[in-house]
Amino acid sequence: MKFSILFPNLRTWVLHLDKVWPAYIVKPNFAYWEVLHILSIVILGGCSILLGLRLIGYGLTEEKPSELYRNLKLWLHTGVIGVTVTGVLIGMANAEKLYDSPAFFVKLVSLVAGVIITYFAMRPLALADGEVTPRSVVGGALGLAVWAIGLWVFLNGGLMTPGFFHVMTAAALIVLFVTRGRLRWIYLAGVATALAVFFLATHVVIAWGDLKHADPANVAIAVILGLWIAGIAIVQTLVNRRNLDSETPDRGALYAKLIGYAVILVWVCAAAAGRWIAYD
Amino acid sequence: MILAFLTWLQESLGKGKGDDAQSWSQALISSLNFWSILEGTHLLMLMLFAGTILVVDLRLLGVTFRKTRVSVISSKILPLTVAGFILMIITGAALFFAKPVYYYHNLWFRLKLVFLIAAMINIVVFHYRVQKNQDAWDLKATPPASARLSAVVSLLAWTSVIFFGRLIPYNFVECGKPMPDWLNAAQECSTSEHGAQSLDGKITLVKPK
Repeated sequence: MKFSILFPNLRTWVLHLDKVWPAYIVKPNFAYWEVLHILSIVILGGCSILLGLRLIGYGLTEEKPSELYRNLKLWLHTGVIGVTVTGVLIGMANAEKLYDSPAFFVKLVSLVAGVIITYFAMRPLALADGEVTPRSVVGGALGLAVWAIGLWVFLNGGLMTPGFFHVMTAAALIVLFVTRGRLRWIYLAGVATALAVFFLATHVVIAWGDLKHADPANVAIAVILGLWIAGIAIVQTLVNRRNLDSETPDRGALYAKLIGYAVILVWVCAAAAGRWIAYD
Repeated sequence: MILAFLTWLQESLGKGKGDDAQSWSQALISSLNFWSILEGTHLLMLMLFAGTILVVDLRLLGVTFRKTRVSVISSKILPLTVAGFILMIITGAALFFAKPVYYYHNLWFRLKLVFLIAAMINIVVFHYRVQKNQDAWDLKATPPASARLSAVVSLLAWTSVIFFGRLIPYNFVECGKPMPDWLNAAQECSTSEHGAQSLDGKITLVKPK
């Protein structure tokens, strides 16, 4: 899926975009605007990681989620606005490539999903210290549904699909951070085994360049690894709930944790898709 | 000597027999997806590494989390920063291994390293000098000038690392293009594949020792 398929009649307009103000100013200085885009992603990344982890029940637990949100909201807004504004500007200067890019489609869909999940699910949850409200449920469901479209295209996007590895890596790192004790070691052993099997399958068992067999093997191992990461995240969440006592009520509902994971991963997905525009 | 080592790293290390044989470095850069994944991971780790160090620096500046102890912010956020930094170094080293000679003659890469070293020195100074009396200002909404200065240096240094890192693929001042002598000297262009071309078109090519 790409915008040139969705809106085929827009090509003439798209081809003209880099000659319109302010794109013709941005284009010769593309690299510097890219830096601003990356700096905005950095700010957004830091805020979403800390807020997401707090909803999951980790990170800066000395502060309530509401207090964390109040302290970070200015920077969160700066990141979202910065990513959007610089994204529009460098997008206009590079419009023809983006129009035909499936990775850009994923990036834009993930950006929309990221805004919805951040402001209509994470924000109300954080301000209510993890308590689930109807508004956060509607916002979360809508955001996750939009993001699912992006994920589906990412996973079926041909040359850009390996970029999905970044989303899996981010999920794997979050789970590594939130697991404790023996479960963390079991988790790591599982991840290491999957990676070893992946290497053996694609370098020893299947001949180099035999993509007919390598592709299904890649997909199968990625699915197993994804299920392993998700499964351990669920187990850790259930272990936490079993160990809960009245002193830690804000460890909160399962839904808050789900949004905690989602708000980090949706922005990672948007950034990863953005990077893979260069490779698709 | 450094260039000779990097050339060996790029051209010879791991190279088998036969005309089509590749060194490990060449195999990495020509891999179907691995190099792209490394490059993407290196970039995305900025969200974890630089994104979290930003929050710590903002606390040191007294801009955010003013009611929270600095030690709490450090102990809870810096482990994430360190994890991001380790992964950035690993992926960065692998990316360097894929094109060591290119990076050696790249002005932006050299500037990136300069600011990386500056950021490292700042961390050491903060840890051994500024943090010595942290108990005295741990709860202060606005930490002392030395801590704020350290935060400013950190923000400037890491922003510069990101800035110059992003410029690396751009060929504004690539060796072989006509440019001032000082730019050629700053990248040791005369020992590069394309040599050093001055503004008057004179090309200097020195065979590396």
